[in-house]
Amino acid sequence: MDFNRIQTTPLSLDALLAGTESPECGALTVFSGTVRDHHEGRSVLRLKYTSHVPLAERMIREIERATCAKFDVPLCRVVHRIGELGIGESAILAIVRSGHRAEAFAALKYLVDQVKHRVPIWKEEFYADGSSAFVTGCCIADDADDASHAGDHDHAHHHHAAHTHAHTEA
Amino acid sequence: MQIQVLCYGATRRHVDGDVIELALAEPATVADALSALSSVSTELAELLKQCAVAIGDELVRRNHPLHAGDALALLPPVAGG
Repeated sequence: MDFNRIQTTPLSLDALLAGTESPECGALTVFSGTVRDHHEGRSVLRLKYTSHVPLAERMIREIERATCAKFDVPLCRVVHRIGELGIGESAILAIVRSGHRAEAFAALKYLVDQVKHRVPIWKEEFYADGSSAFVTGCCIADDADDASHAGDHDHAHHHHAAHTHAHTEA
Repeated sequence: MQIQVLCYGATRRHVDGDVIELALAEPATVADALSALSSVSTELAELLKQCAVAIGDELVRRNHPLHAGDALALLPPVAGG
């Protein structure tokens, strides 16, 4: 299905679900990741997502295909929004349809984890005190000096102090 | 040779502008470009250790040979969702 996985306008679950109905599927799982108003004790006003769009588009399609194969489910779809997002807005939507719920839940978790950990998207948080910081995430280079955890893993994301800058905005 | 370096994510905080023009002695690899960029600052040098590199929509390894006019994208650790 050809639609943009990286989008600059508010995400639509209806659009993502369009044309995916299948009489053989008894399960539909949906995940929406929405913008939180706090992170590690700090008050967050808004987020800005940026991406390497051509690589992200290709990788999300590959992750969808790999997830379908790994869990033997017929349909996986993911869209991720970039640009500035306010509290409560959806940054990522993911859906899986399958015959039964067990593989639909498992495939959905894998799908979202893979996109969060492998796709070139960056999250910059803007705080109430006027500062901002990039959320430190996962190294995606398998031959980097610090790539021992590249790829498939599950962990919390922390801020890197060196990336915190005072920000003056109009 | 002359190449371009395109900065993404937190790498943008360590350079002026999002694009760096870099001159390298030939032959050169991705590792040579990262080594040259590491002289900008110790903060950038630390971040480069965790960066992936892409040319076009392909991730390339550190031993990948460079050609004049290549545009290298610096991809620091990712945090979507």
